[in-house]
Amino acid sequence: MQTFLQFILNALSLGSIYALMALGLVIVFGILRLVNFAYGELIMVAGYAWFALQGPGWPWVLLAVGAVIAAGVVSVLTERVAFRPVRSDSLNAMLVTSFAVSTLLQNSALLLVSPRARAVEVPSVLNNSIEFGGLRLGVNDLVTIVVCGAVLLALGALLRRTTLGIALRAAADDFRMLRLLGVRADKVIATAFAISGVLAGVVGVLWITRIGAVTPTVGAAPLLIALIAVVVGGMNGLAGSIVGGYLLGTLTVGLQLFLPQEVLAFRDAFIFAVVIIVLVLRPQGLVKGRYSAERVA
Amino acid sequence: MRTGLRTVGVIAMVLLAAACGADPNAGTAGATGGTQGDAGSSDVITIGAALSLTGIQAPLDEPGLRGAQLAVKHLNEQGGVLGKEIKLVNLDGKSDPVTVGNNAVQLISEGAKAIIAPCDFDFGSPASREAQSAGLVGISTCASSPLYNSDNLGDKQFTLSMWNTTMGAAGAEWAYTKQGWKTAYVVTDTFIDYTKSLSKYFIETYKHLGGQVLGEDTYTQGDQNFSAQLQRLKTLPQQPEVIFVSSYMPDLALIVREIRSAGITAPIMGGDSYDDPELPKALGDRFGDDIYYATHSYLSDQAGSQVAEFLGAYQKEHGKEPDTAMVTTGYDVVMVLADAMKRAGSTDGAAVAKAMENNEFSLLTGKLTWSEAAKGHEPDKEAAMVSVKDGKTAFEGWFRPGWAPQP
Repeated sequence: MQTFLQFILNALSLGSIYALMALGLVIVFGILRLVNFAYGELIMVAGYAWFALQGPGWPWVLLAVGAVIAAGVVSVLTERVAFRPVRSDSLNAMLVTSFAVSTLLQNSALLLVSPRARAVEVPSVLNNSIEFGGLRLGVNDLVTIVVCGAVLLALGALLRRTTLGIALRAAADDFRMLRLLGVRADKVIATAFAISGVLAGVVGVLWITRIGAVTPTVGAAPLLIALIAVVVGGMNGLAGSIVGGYLLGTLTVGLQLFLPQEVLAFRDAFIFAVVIIVLVLRPQGLVKGRYSAERVA
Repeated sequence: MRTGLRTVGVIAMVLLAAACGADPNAGTAGATGGTQGDAGSSDVITIGAALSLTGIQAPLDEPGLRGAQLAVKHLNEQGGVLGKEIKLVNLDGKSDPVTVGNNAVQLISEGAKAIIAPCDFDFGSPASREAQSAGLVGISTCASSPLYNSDNLGDKQFTLSMWNTTMGAAGAEWAYTKQGWKTAYVVTDTFIDYTKSLSKYFIETYKHLGGQVLGEDTYTQGDQNFSAQLQRLKTLPQQPEVIFVSSYMPDLALIVREIRSAGITAPIMGGDSYDDPELPKALGDRFGDDIYYATHSYLSDQAGSQVAEFLGAYQKEHGKEPDTAMVTTGYDVVMVLADAMKRAGSTDGAAVAKAMENNEFSLLTGKLTWSEAAKGHEPDKEAAMVSVKDGKTAFEGWFRPGWAPQP
């Protein structure tokens, strides 16, 4: 029982951060039908922003906010500089552009900072852990769960209650109709990138403070996780990516814990096997999205 | 829209220029001209390098190149080798085996007399194969795979590093015999071959000595989640006296922190991937304690007077201390090549290779002897044992294991 409860806690913590990663990716995909391969680098940007700001001994809340803002700003900048000019071209052009942006950001970090890992100062309190009834929960896990919950609620409110949010949701359903109604496409898309960047920033802060170090390639794993979570959960809607994120987190923790030692090295093979089974049974993902029109420029 | 595109283009081009264009210049130490013409001339000995300055291999290769440049400068200040000036030319291998091989071909056609290969079997062996087919000595800065042998690559190919067999054995014997830790738990990062084979040889030696391995677990670089492994470790019927964690940065810091913050105080051990100044920094004095690893060298005069000299020269050249001990591998590679050329009295590949066998070299990375080509050029080398205590590294001494497993 105790093992199971501990497993639930661990799965909840990992699932929360995976869900957030997936959400950041799907919010741009929903509108542009673009899988933004530079998304992982936004997480990296948050990490390096933290690294750059940590010198003067500012409170870490300030560092976290700075890192989130940095990721958001870079995200909007990539939209303005790289994606907007090719938006009216084919989807392939956008996809290749996103690879280019990814490489560009990664190599900038490599040249400007170092190819080697750089340590970030993790607030000491995050490394404490709470023990209750034989269960152990790290403060960083607790913070992850709480922050992810709060961000999910805030995003939900934003999308349902504000005009901008309604425009975003409408854009995901039928972008052409939205433009015919006089909503400015540039503004909607820039907002989507800003939200995606802020989510990447939050993920970045949680992710980087877990590791305690940042490298130019730190964003690769989160990007892959987000992509799988989105595909499994369903690409046409935010709920799908959240479901996908939690499913992937639970699978990862569960298999690591319950697989016998001899086959543990093949854990990822088991995860992908489950992913394949899900996709065979439900090609549209676990959560079916609502009606969605073809992408238009 | 046009402006936007152009901006991206300009940024991309500037970065590309910085990434690729600058490398050959940065890699050229010694000769002033730097043109292809003088590479083959009689008063210059060109050493070619295909080290990667970009991509995943860059963290290991880029410091190596810095060390190699310093060695070339040092040699030329002392009058060069065989009365000739040494010139080092590096072409960025870009962490791509094919590019590394092509770079080696180009360097050889430009008159290189020896080839320095990247610090890894997968990335380094293409350069060594090209060097072998051109009849030149090829040497990797720090590939530790036992596959880096003369059976595989040819009778003129070497690696400066001890093999993983020695590295794993050094850790195991040091833990079991010197520290008296009789039970171990092993966590292996399954993402790359290096970490897998290091664990394998640690376990083999540890069992050979009579130690008991209580359990094994795996981790995958990039997972960023050690909770399940921790749960398994904490519920072991018997707690281990030492935990061997074969992983690398950045996730290595996370694993160590998670183990420590769960209240497990057993010493943690590993290989040369721990040799990263960011590890103690990332752990701080709260978690950076009771950690030990076998590596190539230690950047302090405790590891020998020549290390102190090297540090002085590095400080003078770069204005700061080296950020990683990996710089010493590049320095040593150039010094070994120069030494062997002096002993051979020529730059002929076969003669230099012969001079590298069965000779003891006293290096920044310890004393080194290669076996003859028929025995695979197995490096017989000391390991530097280093500890992390209170968030700071300390030198524990040179250690040569008495027994090492067969690859």
